[in-house]
Amino acid sequence: MEAPPVTVMPVTGGTINMMEYLLQGSVLDQSLDSLLHRLRGLCDNMEPESFADHELVYLLKGQQGNPFILRARRSLAHPTAPWHLRYLGQPEVGDKSRHALVRNCVDVSASHSLPDFLNEMGFRMDHEFVAKGHIFRKGVLKVVVSKLSRVLVPGNTDNTEPLSLSYLVELSVLAPAGQDTVSEDMRSFAEQLKPLVHLEKIDPKRLM
Amino acid sequence: MGVTCVCQVPVAEGKSVQQTVDQLHKKLEQLGGVKQGSFFVDCETYHTTGNASGQPSKLLYVMHNSETPLSCLALYEGGPYLTADANFDVLMVKLKSHFQNAKGHKVESRGARYRYCDFLVKLGTVTMSSSARGISVEVEYCACVVPGDCWNLMKEFMQSFLGSNAPEIPSVFTSKPEGLFAPADCMDTMSQYLELFSKVRKQQVLPGSSVR
Repeated sequence: MEAPPVTVMPVTGGTINMMEYLLQGSVLDQSLDSLLHRLRGLCDNMEPESFADHELVYLLKGQQGNPFILRARRSLAHPTAPWHLRYLGQPEVGDKSRHALVRNCVDVSASHSLPDFLNEMGFRMDHEFVAKGHIFRKGVLKVVVSKLSRVLVPGNTDNTEPLSLSYLVELSVLAPAGQDTVSEDMRSFAEQLKPLVHLEKIDPKRLM
Repeated sequence: MGVTCVCQVPVAEGKSVQQTVDQLHKKLEQLGGVKQGSFFVDCETYHTTGNASGQPSKLLYVMHNSETPLSCLALYEGGPYLTADANFDVLMVKLKSHFQNAKGHKVESRGARYRYCDFLVKLGTVTMSSSARGISVEVEYCACVVPGDCWNLMKEFMQSFLGSNAPEIPSVFTSKPEGLFAPADCMDTMSQYLELFSKVRKQQVLPGSSVR
């Protein structure tokens, strides 16, 4: 019943801006096992962790400019766990020699009323998908190997259809802004995964 | 988190806000309450910019409670509620082109936190734009989570130091299903504070209110 510390420092705006450094690639289904084997060897020694998530992408259309995108993700394997809301900013246009895609990232854990709340705020769901796969860690580096599936009936995550015959491989790091050595570490890790998978910087704008 | 009741106490006749709060402190200490630090609850208001449909935009309230320092609570009056972590404030900063913070509308209640056996009592001065606008009293009975089971006890306790200012059962509890196990959660407390803050916003500025 002790009083929790009362902070007089404002939380808004002064928080460190976290950046996500990202490299992406893919492997065909038949090569998955060799990739998982290599990752188990390279990454931190821990029980292989698998996940099954349902992600909904919400858009808020403003009067001008691009719509604001928010990604709400919940675990299908742990239904009582909180929702995870993520905002990803525009990729930083900087050094061409920088090896990873860098963008501002804000992660918020939220209660289960999140979808209703986002609708009340004016966000509308644009699309949803199910991601199932494995997650590995090496220090601050995170490797996620996932199979993305399309949800056929909105809201029904049991009825899904794989989007492709491949697995998406993502190497990411969350770090405060300004730490440029991170992309070097990512590049050297990515080298060790060749020729199984080629992880590269993929600019989302080029895909649109 | 036990059953919590938040109410507003009127300023005593001929006294200032600070004097009334001091009187309440004395009464609690006489009862046997032990001061245990301080607390604050604040509420910021956001409104949507540029509403295409021309309807009056709903106000979004983002509240913080020192009792749950890592959380951020977002509420629409009567509407859906969201409990999130502290990064929600950072997200609201990113959303500033869609949601504008009405800075002049920020209301907060700050004061002392007392513990008396299983009760936690928080006496706060409600301020808006640095002027004291009222007094809030929050009483939490930590031993119980079902409002129906302990309301009578809480009311009796509140009468012992608030006298005739003790409130009736808050509407957030009467709307819960009768007879079923309906535990109270932090949202019930925050929606009571929101109601209190809305009343305070609409009130006139009190004469002789202390400027911080």
